[in-house]
Amino acid sequence: MTETKSSEELQALLDAAVDGIIVIDARGTILSFNRSAEQLFGFKASEAVGRNVGILMADTDRADHDAKIERYLATGVPHVIGRGRAVTAQRKDRTVFPAFLSVGAVSGPEPRFVGFIRDMTAARKADEEAHRLQDRLMHVSRLATVGEMASGIAHELNQPLAAIATYAHACDRLLALPDPEIEEVQAALKQIADQAVRAGDIIRRLRNLARSDETVRSPMDINTVIEELGELIQSDARAHGVQYRPELSSGLPQVTVDRAQIQQVVLNLVRNALEALALAQLEASEVVVSTCLNREGEVEIRICDNGPGVDGSIAHRMFDPFCSTKPTGTGLGLPISRTIVNTHGGTLDYEPNVPSGACFLVKLPATRMDQQ
Amino acid sequence: MKERPPTVYIVDDDDAVRNSLRLLLKSVGLTAVALPTAQEFLSSYDAQQPGCLILDVRMPGMSGLELQQQLNMRGAVIPVIFITGHGDIPMAVEAMQHGAFDFLQKPFRDQDLIDRIQRALAKDRTNRAELTERSHVRERFESLTPREREVLALVTRGKPNKVMAAELGVSQRTVEIHRARVMEKMHASSLAQLVRMMMELDEKADTGG
Repeated sequence: MTETKSSEELQALLDAAVDGIIVIDARGTILSFNRSAEQLFGFKASEAVGRNVGILMADTDRADHDAKIERYLATGVPHVIGRGRAVTAQRKDRTVFPAFLSVGAVSGPEPRFVGFIRDMTAARKADEEAHRLQDRLMHVSRLATVGEMASGIAHELNQPLAAIATYAHACDRLLALPDPEIEEVQAALKQIADQAVRAGDIIRRLRNLARSDETVRSPMDINTVIEELGELIQSDARAHGVQYRPELSSGLPQVTVDRAQIQQVVLNLVRNALEALALAQLEASEVVVSTCLNREGEVEIRICDNGPGVDGSIAHRMFDPFCSTKPTGTGLGLPISRTIVNTHGGTLDYEPNVPSGACFLVKLPATRMDQQ
Repeated sequence: MKERPPTVYIVDDDDAVRNSLRLLLKSVGLTAVALPTAQEFLSSYDAQQPGCLILDVRMPGMSGLELQQQLNMRGAVIPVIFITGHGDIPMAVEAMQHGAFDFLQKPFRDQDLIDRIQRALAKDRTNRAELTERSHVRERFESLTPREREVLALVTRGKPNKVMAAELGVSQRTVEIHRARVMEKMHASSLAQLVRMMMELDEKADTGG
């Protein structure tokens, strides 16, 4: 094989590659520029060869690049070589695009570097679209949960309203008595104010839950997240004739979560329990939501009931989409809940409760001190 | 026997609703006992105490409808006014079918509730008066001799004295004496009244049996 032929074959090989392939020397001067690189960057090979590789980089990456080459040449310790990294590349027309760069080093008296560049625009778009759709789905399913709860919430709103009306009527009648007990009337007036606040709270929680369709994560106390649901869960539990009992451990580390999403998960699991309990028609049915810190340092939320539990025949596929035992269920509640917990770096699993019932276990990583 | 003053029982698990109702009833001079659970009501309920019951339909533990069924099983006659947080028609129908006195949706006007309570208390008085009357009739019936009971059975079937005398193998004069004793012992002023008393006794035997 002659040298010329070998070099022609090499060029053919480079031009056939899907990735942009660029060879540079230790000073960053472009030595070779394949056809894919021409298409990616809009430079002809003849224009690019001989110029500094910096023309292919966004301003933010450029400054850093020379330093990286120098450091490698001086220390021999690679930072990019063999690993690859996400970079922002710049075309001839100075527009930028996301790219994945991997680098190989050719050692010798005159070291050279081979860069492989892949355009990540489409992949990133698909990623963003997938995220957007996932967020949307979570929001829609959250709205669906809120909708399902509307009847219980209407019931719960009627309680403070009924109390307010009744207290007001009673005050009216007490004051009309010949010798009214003013203290009694004052106590009732205070109750009226408290009940109005209670009604307002229910509406505010509901609106908070329905509103946010943006994912915003921040470190917070998981107990607060659950306590905010108290009125909603209480109302729903009442509507199903079930006792709701929170058992929240104090002194837990914070978790970095999207409040509305985690509330959606808890509500979803509580609602599942309530529906199962309502069907089971027990003497004293209850749902317990508890929190604790486990040995691995994770924060655990348990949603447990004393109902019949999950039938063994569907236990292994209940987290699969469209697996529902409820006549009106979408079969998406559990899979979406699990997705939400997973995107928080946590897990959602089922275990039978003792002596009977279902127990869903959410584990979330504790926020490290340096992340706060 | 002197009639005891009526008590209005309130069973609702919501503290605010329960306490506001108690205050309202107090403001109109009614004696109220308010309890948070159906179980507490059942364990403290005295069937001899006249009154009525204001009952929330949905409660954790024993629901209002379940409490109503328990009371029915015990043969309690206390009128029940159900209150509910939302217009749950099937539940209202079920409650009424099981003999609920009335049904009110929260929030309600005070006068609506007070009117219903007054009607429920009136109904309770009537119920209790009928029960008392029936037990008196039963006592009187039990004071009759076997012969007098035979005569009573024949009289209420409309048999003339002559036929009764033949059937019992006694003189017509003897039948007349027995018959007069029966009317006197049963406190009956006419044959029609005697027949009505016996029908009521039979009815009670039917429904109670």
